[in-house]
Amino acid sequence: MASIRFHREGLALEVRGLRVSLGETEVLRGIDLHVPKGRIVAVIGPNGSGKTTLLRCLLGLQKPSAGEIRIFGQPLGPKVLGRVGYVPQRLALDRSFLLSVREFLALRLRETRHWIWWRRSTLDLHLRGLLPGHDLGPLLDRPVAGLSGGQLQRVLVAFSLIGSPELLLLDEPTAGVDAPGEQSFYELIASVHRERQLSVVLVSHDLSMVYRHACRVYALNGVICCEGTPEEVMNADSLRQAYGMHFTPYHHDHGPGHHHHPGGGC
Amino acid sequence: MESMLTEPYMQRALLIAVLLAPLCGVLGVFVTARRMSFFSETVAHGSLAGVAIGLALGIDTSWPILGVSLVVALLVLWLRENTDLLTDTIMALLMSGFMAAGVVGFSKLRGFRGELHRYLFGDILSVGWPDVALAGVVCGFVLVFLVGRLSPMALMTLSEDLAHVSGTSVRRLNLVFVVLLTLTVALSIRLLGIILVTSLLVIPPATARNVASTLRQELLLSLVCGLLSGILGVVASYQFDLPCGPAIVLTAVGLFLVSLGARFLRRPPRPSARP
Repeated sequence: MASIRFHREGLALEVRGLRVSLGETEVLRGIDLHVPKGRIVAVIGPNGSGKTTLLRCLLGLQKPSAGEIRIFGQPLGPKVLGRVGYVPQRLALDRSFLLSVREFLALRLRETRHWIWWRRSTLDLHLRGLLPGHDLGPLLDRPVAGLSGGQLQRVLVAFSLIGSPELLLLDEPTAGVDAPGEQSFYELIASVHRERQLSVVLVSHDLSMVYRHACRVYALNGVICCEGTPEEVMNADSLRQAYGMHFTPYHHDHGPGHHHHPGGGC
Repeated sequence: MESMLTEPYMQRALLIAVLLAPLCGVLGVFVTARRMSFFSETVAHGSLAGVAIGLALGIDTSWPILGVSLVVALLVLWLRENTDLLTDTIMALLMSGFMAAGVVGFSKLRGFRGELHRYLFGDILSVGWPDVALAGVVCGFVLVFLVGRLSPMALMTLSEDLAHVSGTSVRRLNLVFVVLLTLTVALSIRLLGIILVTSLLVIPPATARNVASTLRQELLLSLVCGLLSGILGVVASYQFDLPCGPAIVLTAVGLFLVSLGARFLRRPPRPSARP
């Protein structure tokens, strides 16, 4: 029992027997998942495999029909969500909503909740250093809806880090971002992870980035088809279970440490 | 001008314009960004049934207008959560159903045919002191709401999921917003009329967007445009014997055209890519 408690104490996220039905369809059937503190864990799977549904459950946005979710040992609730940062998939932004990046970041900072009365320079003092090593200064005056995909994801990471969360949930964070933007995004996540010892759940269908950055991978397709280190999961047999029979993974190098996966078989 | 201000009905009309028009401007920023213009149309049109009920019972129509508007708004929310119907379908259904009920009610009332016009297009003569008092109370609630909940409201407008993760009860905040919006729309019907009330939620934010570059500027400019449209429209209605609603709307449209000119002076329209 003591060893189980010790094990649980070392977990940032624990999911046990999670089941979710959307209408008549059961999209998640008995999911078990563990994220040790300070590690990057990836959840991969083809479109429609239930990745986003799983993440919505972790955020309390989708009610499961059965199962248990614990974050840092506590049941999911508003209090424990305060320890979670979330970077969503591409936001569908209305360009007519003129919220600037400065205003957007101020929305979440406790000290700047009443930003509308504040001077710009005072706000900037509070926003400085939100994303170490990345100067958001040039973006602060821009409307959030006018940012490019890569810029928006950087701003969303900065937003998610406000309040010093201990667990970061990333939902297909580079969907719609070009290749260089994608690489710099994952480098940003890796550096933030290193500096802050964050636990990270990365939901993605981008196998090459998962291969480079995750320490553990879960392949999902309604159920957990396989789990293990990236090397274990990326072998063809395991992935074929998750992605279907016609999947053929292959890697080739573009340079030191860079693996690329064309994704055509997914 | 002086005689205008000594007329009690003009005092009431100007007061209610000063209270509600800027409110419509500020709420309109969120209404348009959240694509809820049709919702306010639904509430306003549905309130015709409230007018008919009030006239039939021989009571002040303000209360049945408020009551029916709230019923329509809550029915939209309830049907959206508990049926598979599209939101547009729900709103069209309720809008036409309640408005038809109102028209049928009017057709059975004797001696009130002329009243219909003033409810459809607004009338400065129809504003009573109870309306001004109600507008003051609603204005107070909305101000407290906006000052206290502006950040969650802005975040919810951008993304309901991000707002939830940031600790906002999205469902509750949405309900409060819908109720305050409904009350504002229902009270503004006196001035603007059922047909045109939504315009004060749409035109001032559009005017502000032509010249603003941040949400703070947009909110402030929309508030000022709403206020100017309300006051100048009421004054024009008195001076030129115009129906009040159209006078306010035309003033708002005039301000929009000025802002459009200012926008094109600052940033000329890009030539079309097509030959």
